[in-house]
Amino acid sequence: MTTIKRQSATQSQKLMVFVLTMALYGLATLFTELIPKFQVGIVEFSVEYFLFIPLTLAMLFDPMSAALGAATGELVFSEIMLGQFGGLGELEKFITVTIGVYIAGRLVRDPKNRKVVGIAAFSGVVIQQLLGTIVDILKVQFAVEDFEAVAGLPESVFATEGFAFLNDVLFSGILFCLLPTLFLVPKLYGKIEPLLGMQPRTEKTYIGNISWKVIVCSIVAFGVAIAAEFMAESGFALIDWEADWAESSTSFAVGIVIAAVVCVAIVLVMRMRTAKNPIEKGA
Amino acid sequence: MRAVEKLSENILDKLSIDFLRNQVLKNAYGNNDTVIAGMDPRILLLWYLFFGLVPWFVNDLPFLTGCFLLVAITTLLARVAGLVLFLFAIGVFSQTGYLLVVTLLFGGDASAIAPLLVLTLKVATVSLASITIFSGLDPDKLSNGLMWYGCPERLSFSISYAYRILPLLMEEFQNVLLSYRLRGNPPEHESFVGKIKYLIYQIKIIIHAFYPLMLNTAKRSRTTVEVLEIKGYRYAAVNREVKKIKLSSLRVGNNDLLFLAISFLWVAVTVLISTLI
Repeated sequence: MTTIKRQSATQSQKLMVFVLTMALYGLATLFTELIPKFQVGIVEFSVEYFLFIPLTLAMLFDPMSAALGAATGELVFSEIMLGQFGGLGELEKFITVTIGVYIAGRLVRDPKNRKVVGIAAFSGVVIQQLLGTIVDILKVQFAVEDFEAVAGLPESVFATEGFAFLNDVLFSGILFCLLPTLFLVPKLYGKIEPLLGMQPRTEKTYIGNISWKVIVCSIVAFGVAIAAEFMAESGFALIDWEADWAESSTSFAVGIVIAAVVCVAIVLVMRMRTAKNPIEKGA
Repeated sequence: MRAVEKLSENILDKLSIDFLRNQVLKNAYGNNDTVIAGMDPRILLLWYLFFGLVPWFVNDLPFLTGCFLLVAITTLLARVAGLVLFLFAIGVFSQTGYLLVVTLLFGGDASAIAPLLVLTLKVATVSLASITIFSGLDPDKLSNGLMWYGCPERLSFSISYAYRILPLLMEEFQNVLLSYRLRGNPPEHESFVGKIKYLIYQIKIIIHAFYPLMLNTAKRSRTTVEVLEIKGYRYAAVNREVKKIKLSSLRVGNNDLLFLAISFLWVAVTVLISTLI
């Protein structure tokens, strides 16, 4: 009987939600890469993202699948496909988008209640942007050597990041998340669920309020995002050590160059050998 | 004034959805005959691991310049689509050029340029390395390579799926958009206020277009998942045997080793140069 009470989704339905969110949000992020940004002074008007798509879907379907789908879609479509994969930085974006969308999706008990939908959409954006801003400031602080020494740089980073945060929340948050979500959620409610073979979410089938578990998990996940930065910092020390010996002895560097030359030579010899025996190459 | 108008018209023409679709497809499947595309994805990912991570931690100018030159050469070898390079240029500028302007605004002087140059080189090197790998390789090869390193099956599925579904989705989105335009009545856009109204109208249409698109994609994703289920996808994804069969096509050749060795030599020489200076 519990299956009727909760909004149960089978594994394959979760996969459907994942694929749906990934494809749609991926397409949207691909466009945002291309929509021109126009600046008035330092106020930047940009369509930061179409976060309303995963927000809408997270409120109608299983929030976790939608959140993961959105983050994966952004990663695959706009980062990997356009070759803009940033390595470590992407992990942070992945996690913040997931947390923001998931929490917004969990907040909504009844998608027909516009007030709650609006509050959830807005808090999703604020959470995502706030986490992103914190990590951004940390990142610049750690990437630029002598951060404090450069005149004007620390203030400018805090100012630009803080400003970008406000700008994103007020401009993109309201125009591109709040209003479209308010428009789409009631319109899609009851229509899109049958297409995936599911029951619409109601107060009875709602999977439960945000518990402490969710909050703790989110904090842990955000910790992982920051830990990625700290892990990078320990890598910092490792390379520093490498740079130390590089500076101390030129002969060591010469040694490396010789080793590299030997490597190239060995590979070339191997290449010539295989060119001689074409049978081996086929094998 | 006329020239500027013409130029902006030209750029807007180029940024049509068709152009975008062609560029993405060209990027994904158009350069299978390059040196980079012929190599083993595992070796390339290993290579990327070095050039994607190490530049972040080194502040040595000759070393960074050397790395930058190397990845620039590999990017040329991979024959990356023009759009991607354009986005790269914009991305690098928006990350560091913007910061420079603001720093000057807050009373920083020329001393701010040196650390920012280092930062720019870092960003440029890392992104060019990723452009080489992620757009130089064919998506199936890339996802196989990622899978070999133990990435979740869902990620490699997403990559393969994304490249296949994207052209379809774009076409559908364009059709929906065009039908909205046909039925709609755009506001006059001669005056400044009219232009703003026109922009709002455009954005509104885009958002409205997502409504039918969401419903259609929901149907399509259900079909996709059902087909996957018929093929036993969820069990195959975690099965070792299946993974082994799937990855048996990967082979490290002499070309790959040569590529690694030459990159190693290049880095070694740059380290040598930076010690000499």
